[in-house]
Amino acid sequence: MRSLITTIILLIFSQLAFSQDKNSEISIEFNNISRTAALQKIETISKYKIYYQDAWFENNVLISGNYVNKTISEIVSKILDDTDLNFFIDKNKIVLTKNSIIYDSFPDYETNNQSTANKPVKSANPVFFGQFDSVKKSGSKDNNNIVLVGKESNVANTGIYTLSGYLKDIKTGAPLADINVKVRNTAISTVTNAEGYYFLKVPTEVNIIDIESIIYQNITRKVMVYSDGKLDLFLTEKLNQLDEVVVNSKASQNIRTAITGVTTIEAEGIKNIPVILGERDILKVALTIPGVKTAGEGSAGFNVRGGKEDQNLILLDNGTIYNPSHFFGFFSAINPYTVNKVDIYKGGIPPEFGGRLSSVFDITSKNGNVDKFTGEGGIGPVTSNLTFSTPVVKGKSSLLVGGRATYSDWILKTLDDEKLKKSQASFYDLFARYTHKINAKNSIEGTAYYSKDAYSITSDSLYKYSNRMVSLKWKHSFNEKHNGELNVTNSEYKFNIDYDSNNSNAFDFGYKITETQAALKFNYNFNDKHKFVYGISSKLYNVNPGDLKPKDPNSLLMETHIQKEKGLESALFLSDNFKITDKLLLDYGARFSAYSALGPSTQKIYEDGLPKNPSTVVEEKTYGNNEAIKTYTGFEPRIGVRYLFDETFSIKAGYDKTFQYIHLLSNNTTQSPTDTWKLSDLNVKPQSGQQFSLGLFKKTDYKNLELSVEGYYKKSNNILDYKVGANLLLNENLETELLQGEGKSYGVEFLIKKMEGRLNGWIGYTYSRAFIKLDSQFSEEKVNNGDYFPTNFDKPHDFSTVLNYKFTHRYSFSANFIYQTGRPITYPIGQYNYGGAEYTLYSDRNKFRIPDYYRLDIGINIEGNHKIKKLAHSFWNISVYNVLGRNNPYSVFFVTKQGKVQAYQTSIFSVPVPTITYNFKF
Amino acid sequence: MAKTSLHKWFIIVLTAFISSCTTPYNYTTNSFENTIVIEATITNQLKKQEIKLSRTYKFEDEGPVSETGATVSVTDDLGTVYGFDEENGLYVSATPFKAESGRTYQLHVKTKDGKSYSSTAEKLTTETNLSEIVANVTSKEGVRGVEIRAKSFDPTNSSKYYRYEYDETYKVIAPKWTPYEAIAVPKNTGIAPGDLIIQERTKEARICYSTKKSDAIILTSTNDLSEDRVDFQVRFIPSTDYAIANRYSILVKQFVQNQSAFAFYQTLSKISGSESLLSQTQPGFLAGNIKSDVDSSEKVIGFFDVSSYSEKRIFFNFSDVFPNEKTPEYPYNCPMTLTEAQAKEHMLLYCFETDRNPQCFGFTAYGAISMKKSVYFGGYNFLGRVPDNGTITLEIYDTECGDCTSFSSNMRPLFWVD
Repeated sequence: MRSLITTIILLIFSQLAFSQDKNSEISIEFNNISRTAALQKIETISKYKIYYQDAWFENNVLISGNYVNKTISEIVSKILDDTDLNFFIDKNKIVLTKNSIIYDSFPDYETNNQSTANKPVKSANPVFFGQFDSVKKSGSKDNNNIVLVGKESNVANTGIYTLSGYLKDIKTGAPLADINVKVRNTAISTVTNAEGYYFLKVPTEVNIIDIESIIYQNITRKVMVYSDGKLDLFLTEKLNQLDEVVVNSKASQNIRTAITGVTTIEAEGIKNIPVILGERDILKVALTIPGVKTAGEGSAGFNVRGGKEDQNLILLDNGTIYNPSHFFGFFSAINPYTVNKVDIYKGGIPPEFGGRLSSVFDITSKNGNVDKFTGEGGIGPVTSNLTFSTPVVKGKSSLLVGGRATYSDWILKTLDDEKLKKSQASFYDLFARYTHKINAKNSIEGTAYYSKDAYSITSDSLYKYSNRMVSLKWKHSFNEKHNGELNVTNSEYKFNIDYDSNNSNAFDFGYKITETQAALKFNYNFNDKHKFVYGISSKLYNVNPGDLKPKDPNSLLMETHIQKEKGLESALFLSDNFKITDKLLLDYGARFSAYSALGPSTQKIYEDGLPKNPSTVVEEKTYGNNEAIKTYTGFEPRIGVRYLFDETFSIKAGYDKTFQYIHLLSNNTTQSPTDTWKLSDLNVKPQSGQQFSLGLFKKTDYKNLELSVEGYYKKSNNILDYKVGANLLLNENLETELLQGEGKSYGVEFLIKKMEGRLNGWIGYTYSRAFIKLDSQFSEEKVNNGDYFPTNFDKPHDFSTVLNYKFTHRYSFSANFIYQTGRPITYPIGQYNYGGAEYTLYSDRNKFRIPDYYRLDIGINIEGNHKIKKLAHSFWNISVYNVLGRNNPYSVFFVTKQGKVQAYQTSIFSVPVPTITYNFKF
Repeated sequence: MAKTSLHKWFIIVLTAFISSCTTPYNYTTNSFENTIVIEATITNQLKKQEIKLSRTYKFEDEGPVSETGATVSVTDDLGTVYGFDEENGLYVSATPFKAESGRTYQLHVKTKDGKSYSSTAEKLTTETNLSEIVANVTSKEGVRGVEIRAKSFDPTNSSKYYRYEYDETYKVIAPKWTPYEAIAVPKNTGIAPGDLIIQERTKEARICYSTKKSDAIILTSTNDLSEDRVDFQVRFIPSTDYAIANRYSILVKQFVQNQSAFAFYQTLSKISGSESLLSQTQPGFLAGNIKSDVDSSEKVIGFFDVSSYSEKRIFFNFSDVFPNEKTPEYPYNCPMTLTEAQAKEHMLLYCFETDRNPQCFGFTAYGAISMKKSVYFGGYNFLGRVPDNGTITLEIYDTECGDCTSFSSNMRPLFWVD
């Protein structure tokens, strides 16, 4: 009965028959029921069947009425009062129509002005839009797209009506200001106001409304206007819209999934966040999320929930990026224009990921446009970048190419200052992605990435480092429930130090790590209750820990090659998303990993029960090519459980175990490009970690605020640390400098997010601690007497807020504020004289802290105007980094100079740094 | 216009992010730890061996306090005990002795507060002698100068770890020296506060010898070389340094260390060395091979090092190394010819009246000489009291210009060869 009625009006006209029963009388009464209920009641007491669409009625509008011996048309017409619905009665059928009156006779054009008994007195010419469409203002091919506005009346026709409504973004529902709305082939046009509201006077006829914007896809609606009416329209962003970064709440998804500690940052929207030197940076935005920290402004690494910098797996389209930073970490090496989104797993790492203890940064790139050529770019004080996308096979495959480079080197060369002239600082990164949809069941994707940095700290040394990554993916769908993907990736990270002094000590030093991975992953939606993910992966590491080549042939420096390292890490994984009840969801699985250190290699065996040092070597064992030196295995269960109290409130708990077979060696307190990766071997054990987490997630009705509280407790083993002043480069006995200890960290993270409305952004606060214990029976392997002590990145209080206020669609203001406890430092607690010079006596490791860190950044974003006929769409960003000019100490250090101890503090940006950047799109 | 301002902008941005900011940090010790410091190196040189004991001190304090009243001894594996006596804050062995190869030695210290410390047993390292030291002209970081290189070779390839110290001595010649000096004799009559008396100098003040000891840790290792051959720059002196202006001598001392002693010194120098802006080394407490006998957690600073020792000395003149080059300037302001402005400073009319024209500078001259800030150079060619009636114009210079004993020593060292 409530079937959909498709009314092709003209068709009905031809079939119209006059109903004899239409004046039969009935009695009926209803009290505070919806219109649909009233209509149903009529059906039950009469022989009429009523045809309509539920969607035409607002169910919360209740009506009452008492009709005694009224005609059916009187009653129905009363019920339909205050709606834009009309009806006609055909035998025992009542057909409701939206807007249009179904004329039961052809209008008599000749007797237009004569009144007849059957027709309303002041009847105007009925308007047949089908007719207008075909005869008059034809322009659109699409006849089905006619929108009916107002209620056609038999009574009056003033000729000119008001058409008004809101234009909104289809995704966010945000009102769209400054958008042109015009009636085709007329002079009638207007522009939406700040609330996205528009208002047009239009004649009663079929009007073609064109909505034109360079940001949103143009839309055309044929509108049949019967009376004053409302027409709200939702606009879709053009694909070439300058991206707006919204930290995606994954709104209700955050409440629904079973895993804790997951955040998604979409590349859309970070453009409004003020950043240093105007470089939009998706990974820097990640630092404002509770639980993700960095040791300092110029530090490349992240510390996630008390984990070391090397415990984060950074994936770009499934391929590992070893050092995703440019210029010591001031900028991330991921081009923001090519990124779609980053999923950050700080806890609850799905079993398909492994090999790092603390987190996964899963970066997915944008797909190119398969339909047309598009591009965008940006010009800033430090870099410029350009990204474009082009279809290769129209509708099927596309290529996205992006590049970014700095001109700092060129500027340095033009400077008068001799010291600056000699220094060097340059970087660039290149990105290409090809996607091809072969057919409904198969598609392939490929990504290639390269980044390179070169800089010099002193005039006679040049440092270079680069990342290279290639990934290929083949996706295949077996059937509706079962699909799989094959991934092959290859990554390389290398650095080089070119020391070019005048004497025979000049050398060239190089380090390189490569990894090649093949992985098969399957998704199997078994049924409503079980969804399985399973697969297998294998990764081969090759490390060249260092080559030193003297540049002078007469040099006494010996050409040194530290023996290469090789390792194979393989894993099987299986997980099941088990919906036990509607409210209880279990996400459980496991990863079984195995790692073998492979030859060729010579490994030193140290005397048992003695500290490892050059004098305790008992044997040197040689292994052949691909011979397993040592195999480690790890069983890594990952469990997450969610209980949904209601649609807006959930609680989650999780347990994760992870293993890591590769370690970053860094004797600096912060990550630097010349830190090297070392594979586990006979003397270096793999790290392992366990995390317990608990979270509460709530979405409030009030302003759509999302609230969350998450807590965690982590324990880890065999965390690498170093003896005081360890020498890590070119050390053939590296294991003698290393210590492995236990880690412990815990924390609570609070987050309030508001993703919609004029004021949006988020506020996060974290209280967390991170400790390490380095104990041994030998004093040379003991730190702080073997007790737990705070790690370099233990910053208990961390408050960050990112807020954006949109004045209009074109102007917005944003601000970041960050406060952090100063990081721990080993302080000098006295001095002493040794060999005629003064030296500093240091406290226990990390016993004191540097002053607290805080910083406020502000930015103003101006969108170019929305004129259509512009070559490119533009976007200006004016920002000031560190507005307060806070001299945030990056470090405090002590130097013995001319036999005297002097204390210094360094700060990176101690003054406000203003920047202006220009972005464009075509 | 737009172009230049853009250019300026780039420079500002770059300066901001390249040079960043390192500022001195005002620091006081907020949690001082009083710890014993033991410096003990005994060598294969037959002599009275020396061991130094001191205490750590606060940053705001001037210097270390010697640890007095301790009992210090070194024992060997044959049971020999070498006692040490306290002597001017040092502990000096009662009898001369040398470390013998094949023996092991151990240090024992008992402080006056009853705490006792001992080292691990140490052996003498391979006895490899310094074969040669040379002075070469070279440049370092763009600065021209002379380097002192130490050369040594161990065919057994077992020395490997070397530490160096040096004592450098150089001749100083005061440029404004005269055989006469003016002494100030105060008096209580008249306007003048005293009289200046010209007399012949009674001690050497023209030629002095300055000696400096190395204060940095100088280390090299041949571990990554194909043979145990040292060719190492111990010292670099810029060609503008007055130290080499006349005659220069350096005594280079070589200590062959064992791996752990070397590692101790290396770490010590690493954690105290200057840091680059973006990379820091992890500092911490550096444990040596000396421990408390009672409390193993007590911090003890120092290393008992038994090293094989050798030394070599060379001399050179500036003209040997840099012939036909301008000699480095004297480190004090002693103008050879006076400009008009300098003349006002150095040529002083010797009288005391306040209303005289030209103006009197008697107070200036007398005051500077009596305070030993300045030294007489000329203006009165007689011995005895300088008349203060305005007939004499005295020529005076900073004391260092005419009397090298004000900053150096006029004792000619015994080893000195001209």
